[in-house]
Amino acid sequence: MTGCLPSIANGHMTDDISPDISPHHLDQDAWEDLVARFEGRMWAVARALGLSSSDAADAVQGAWLRLVESLDSIRDPDRIGAWLVTTTRHEAVRLARRARGEVVSPSGEVPETAVPDPAAAVVDADFGRHVWRRVDLLGEPCRSLLRLWALHPDARYAQIAVRLDLPVGSVGPTRARCVSRLRALLAEDTGAEEAS
Amino acid sequence: MRDEYLLAALRLGAGSDPVPARVSAAARAAFALHLPGGIAAPPVEVPAPSGARSGAPGTDTGPDEGRDEGGDRDGGGPDELRLRRFTAAGLTIDVEITVTGGRLEVAGQVSPPPGPDARVEVRTPHIAKVRALTGGGHFAVAGLPAGWVSVVCHRPGEPPVFTRWAHVGA
Repeated sequence: MTGCLPSIANGHMTDDISPDISPHHLDQDAWEDLVARFEGRMWAVARALGLSSSDAADAVQGAWLRLVESLDSIRDPDRIGAWLVTTTRHEAVRLARRARGEVVSPSGEVPETAVPDPAAAVVDADFGRHVWRRVDLLGEPCRSLLRLWALHPDARYAQIAVRLDLPVGSVGPTRARCVSRLRALLAEDTGAEEAS
Repeated sequence: MRDEYLLAALRLGAGSDPVPARVSAAARAAFALHLPGGIAAPPVEVPAPSGARSGAPGTDTGPDEGRDEGGDRDGGGPDELRLRRFTAAGLTIDVEITVTGGRLEVAGQVSPPPGPDARVEVRTPHIAKVRALTGGGHFAVAGLPAGWVSVVCHRPGEPPVFTRWAHVGA
């Protein structure tokens, strides 16, 4: 689905993701600037994968530790933001597997250094506000369902079903349908921007 | 676009679910763990997998077909014991981590043995313990908090060699 990666988000991230630092010359102040700039996106991705607050904290910390251990080998400081978000996602997926009781091999616990995922550019507050404006264009129950899904990280399908007066079994399929409609609206934005 | 990226963007846009202060503090403190000039040792597969609980590091225990019958392979529960092997710069660092009562016991071996002046530092983000090595290159540290762990081998006149960080749950 990278085809619907909105150029609006690319524009924002290009500014945000160039922290004007070289990993080889980082000091504590520059590091804290990196933390302030990217920790929100990292946290949001870990939580969006369904991790508890405690597991998400471990995933985010893992991504920072991966950066610390890779500082001497990172060649492309412009992509540190995408790298951090991608690495957080990898660590979160691995922690989620462990939490489900899946056996992860020792080498599987420590991945190869992540390749930044360009799609991570959409993990951005400005783009998020843009998406909310598109959510508001959807009818019900999509608008309310997406709002509950997004704003209540620990809400269960049963709770959403009660709030929206839907059968529990239909919450998942309805959400999938609403997300598809939202994606279609976002894809129209991308097409419009490319055409202009 | 992945669902989780879309969801993360929505939450960021709404300002909901902010980063907890302790997560920020840990992130800021992580920079102090950088080892300038250090050599990262990536993990390698261990020939005899961890099911052979009686096997010492580096011992070829061979297949152990009965290991699933004991009922103790609970994928991360108490008394979990797993061997991890890391190599770089001609050094192999074997690390075995036992989880007991939520605390980690880390034992291992550096091979070839790096000599009497070498030290091993077992690090977590919040605490580090330094140990001398036995003549055979063995080391052990107990009482560490669960979470992220890395082992560093310091040798006089050589850059430090550190295992990449591994996560061990309680």
